[in-house]
Amino acid sequence: MSDEIVKIKGSKSGLQLSFAEGAAFAAVRKDIEEKLVSGTGFFLRGTLVLLPKDAFSETERAQLQKMFHEHGLICRTMNPEAQPTPSEQVRRENEQEKQRQAAAQAQAASRKEKVQEMVVVNRTLRGGQEIRTESSVMVCGNVNPGAQIIAGGSIDIRGTCRGMVHAGAFGDNTAFIIADHLMPTQIRISNLIARSPDEMEKTERAERASIKEGRIVIEPIER
Amino acid sequence: MSEIYVITSGKGGVGKTTTTANLGVGLAMRGKKVVLVDTDTGLRNLDLLLGLENRIMYDLIDVTEGRVPYKKALVRHKKYDTLFLLPTSQVKDKMAVNPEQLVALCKELRKEFDYILIDCPAGIEQGFKTAIAAADTALVVTMPEISAVRDADKIIGELGRADKQDIKLIVNRIRPQMVENGDMLDMSDINDILSIDCIGQVPDDIKVVTSTNKGEPCITMDDSQAGTAYRNIVARMCGESVPFMEFAKEGFWARLKHVFGK
Repeated sequence: MSDEIVKIKGSKSGLQLSFAEGAAFAAVRKDIEEKLVSGTGFFLRGTLVLLPKDAFSETERAQLQKMFHEHGLICRTMNPEAQPTPSEQVRRENEQEKQRQAAAQAQAASRKEKVQEMVVVNRTLRGGQEIRTESSVMVCGNVNPGAQIIAGGSIDIRGTCRGMVHAGAFGDNTAFIIADHLMPTQIRISNLIARSPDEMEKTERAERASIKEGRIVIEPIER
Repeated sequence: MSEIYVITSGKGGVGKTTTTANLGVGLAMRGKKVVLVDTDTGLRNLDLLLGLENRIMYDLIDVTEGRVPYKKALVRHKKYDTLFLLPTSQVKDKMAVNPEQLVALCKELRKEFDYILIDCPAGIEQGFKTAIAAADTALVVTMPEISAVRDADKIIGELGRADKQDIKLIVNRIRPQMVENGDMLDMSDINDILSIDCIGQVPDDIKVVTSTNKGEPCITMDDSQAGTAYRNIVARMCGESVPFMEFAKEGFWARLKHVFGK
């Protein structure tokens, strides 16, 4: 039952530890030690480990923290705001965390607005015509060679795309481009540019272009 | 009820004026009252194709500026008495006529004629905007060539912006042999991009050149393939349903002749 003493749960920010009710510190410590030595693949270097605050005394937590540090893991105590004497570093980290959260919220909010606001073009875009908007764009028709779409959000083309398309034009790396036949002269997403091959073939399936690992990737999709 | 057509293309040299002349003669051969309005001011050619240059007394500019009534400027065709030409000036430029003037003129012409065909200049500037202003229907002429198709696409976009919804396509100078060999865009490639209703497919024909030089459009020649194609377009304009013609392929001997440079 040794694996019941310490429970490890994966969360968004890292690994969260919880200890069995009334478990002795020595047993917990031994168990973690064993896990760290054996499960090397599981505890990747740089992983954030969160300890429950109320489980042990501060000195005991410090011991555990040291042990994790020795194995290359970052260890923190949960609910750091509630700590009686927060160190200067912790406070700084808190502020950064708050800022990050605020930024993420703002971004999410703006993304939400973009989803609500979408430009629908109900015709074929012909050579020389341009759509420029901060929101996403949907085209029910073709985008012909010489036409341009520059969108702050994503682009969906229900037809053949032969023009120049730029999604996430104002820095949104998560923007994507979908077309029934994706054969544009150029694809731009955020600050990346991809050019079509010189010998273009007509594609049979709908395709989606997005940024993956810093490159524009095109993959077939079901639609 | 009379109909006003504008024949346009964007790109130069694809056969706007040739098409205008042929369709005009074709409609007149059916007994319709037709007037051809040349709006290519400064670069007029339509009179040459009809062999009427030496009969011009007044021009479009004289009419729009109110110096003469339009009836004085019309030139009647030598052979077909229901066909008239309203030539433009060779000395003025495109700024000499504005859209409102042409709309007013076409309103007058409507009372007299069954068909008004407006020959549009190349380009998308003032001359183009003037020429399309009065039209009910636009005939976009293109060639099976990427630059001509690209320009036709642009023109269709511009026509849409000017609120012209009735747009028809004529593909000119098709070389069936080259299309078959895959060296020339075929109709499906063109339809893919332009996606508008096509009312004419005209093969490349040396008789177009000889007839242009003689001032007699090839639609009058029974042995001309381009002439047959133009007659079909005229039939479609009159509401008949005519299938697209099969182009005669170059025979073995004709190709052998090409090989020996004859």
